[in-house]
Amino acid sequence: MSGFEVINSGIFTLLQDRGRFGFTHLGVANSGVMDEYAAFMAQKLLHNDIDINILVMAFGNVIFKSTSRTMISVCGAQCEFFINDISKDIWQTHSINAGDIIKIGKILKGQRVYLAVKDGFYVKKEFGSNSTTIKEEMGGLNGKQIKKNDFLPYKKYDTLLAQRLKKEHVPKYDQDILTLRVILSYQEDSFSALEKEKFFNSVYTVTSDFNRMACKLKGEKITSTLDGIISEGISFGSIQIPKDGQPIILLKERQTIGGYPKIGSVLSIDCFKLAQRKINSKIRFEKIDIIEAQKKLKDFYGTFF
Amino acid sequence: MMEIKLASVDSVIIYFSNEISQETSLIVKNAYRILKEENNKALIEIVPSYSSILISYDIFNYDFKSICEYLEQILQTIDIKQTQSKNIINIDVYYGLDVGLDLKRLSTLSNLSIDEIITVHSSKVYDVYAIGFLPGFAFMASVDDSIAIPRLETPRKKIPKGSVAIANNQTAVYPIDSPGGWNIIGKTAFELFDKKLESLSPLNIESKIKFNSISKEEFLAQGGTL
Repeated sequence: MSGFEVINSGIFTLLQDRGRFGFTHLGVANSGVMDEYAAFMAQKLLHNDIDINILVMAFGNVIFKSTSRTMISVCGAQCEFFINDISKDIWQTHSINAGDIIKIGKILKGQRVYLAVKDGFYVKKEFGSNSTTIKEEMGGLNGKQIKKNDFLPYKKYDTLLAQRLKKEHVPKYDQDILTLRVILSYQEDSFSALEKEKFFNSVYTVTSDFNRMACKLKGEKITSTLDGIISEGISFGSIQIPKDGQPIILLKERQTIGGYPKIGSVLSIDCFKLAQRKINSKIRFEKIDIIEAQKKLKDFYGTFF
Repeated sequence: MMEIKLASVDSVIIYFSNEISQETSLIVKNAYRILKEENNKALIEIVPSYSSILISYDIFNYDFKSICEYLEQILQTIDIKQTQSKNIINIDVYYGLDVGLDLKRLSTLSNLSIDEIITVHSSKVYDVYAIGFLPGFAFMASVDDSIAIPRLETPRKKIPKGSVAIANNQTAVYPIDSPGGWNIIGKTAFELFDKKLESLSPLNIESKIKFNSISKEEFLAQGGTL
């Protein structure tokens, strides 16, 4: 059978796709890739559909051995990447032969490396998706992260012209301060003009409470006039302000409902940039109105459809 | 009252009230049913809760203005007739001290015997007000005031799957092992998050739930574990 043998799995390697939709009303997380830009670009380089599954590596030292020919692409965090011990570039496709050893070494700049294979891995979807959600034991291979000796099957693929992303489209993951555009929404009225001014004029730091569920920041304290709210549905990117006043940005594996006041929501495409930041990175917020925000989002997806 | 507010770049939230009540919940359920019946693929997620519904939508089909107009139009006539309770789900519970970690404390706090607590908890039919926190975790109400005690001050690191719990006037079953701060009064072998079901969960926001007290032997025979 064609596929990858997992020689070394790394600490937290997951199979993901765009996410699991239609079960949020039961408390099931959407899950899915944290950085859609890098993941979709990896698919696009292979002429794959963007709904196809992909491997995500948040820690390096991952080794696969291929059992037959295919094409792969690697995008996302800058990392050491080798095919048969020869250093290779990311943000492009590579031909793989039977017996090739593919290694992702150290992750250098950024946080998540995406590896796509032509036509995706042949893994049965669970409830419409391959996205792995560990706490639900859903998706991936038996609801778990990728382990040593796992086998990731794919269909043998012979030739495809190599594709490389133009340099100007490769994102930088190490600017001094990342600006996240925010749509004021939800309980924004419970934050005074002064509180909003503080929020938009401060620099926040990414704390170690940063995972697939959420990113907790530290910095200027923001206060809502509300203590709590009646639990309600929470959107991707929404910014909760708990009692300690430190913002929490809710991401792909967020709980589906929650009872903290929210000042607004980070534009989803900016959450993808956040997904590549390391602990202690600096963040600032900037206001964007809904018309402009939807235009940006359409432009983003327009690149991939 | 119905107010549609921005939630994010591709979602809006509809508020039906700013308080929790059975009437509000009926309005939410009715609106939820109308939204589901639209069978509109551009409505990507519809998440009902106590007093609101969050909707994420396809921005290639609607912009913020047009989604608001569409929702206002289809939700013009929400009636709040009590739904017929044909959808009652029975959940068998073993209310034993060996699994009901907080039964003794509840007994002290409420001045009720264990048997009285069981009778009070299992004699009501509960409505589901929201589902979330964990997959299949249904917030049910209203628990009788006599046994309504607040959450634990320090949450437990692990509450076993199947634990039946109380927090103030709400009751719930932990569908999977999880940290949590609710008071545990019993355990069930009933699956609330079941991948063998196409629907993933036997219950939804419109379900009504009745708990039945069973013996330890029955619980074990149903596949329950201590």
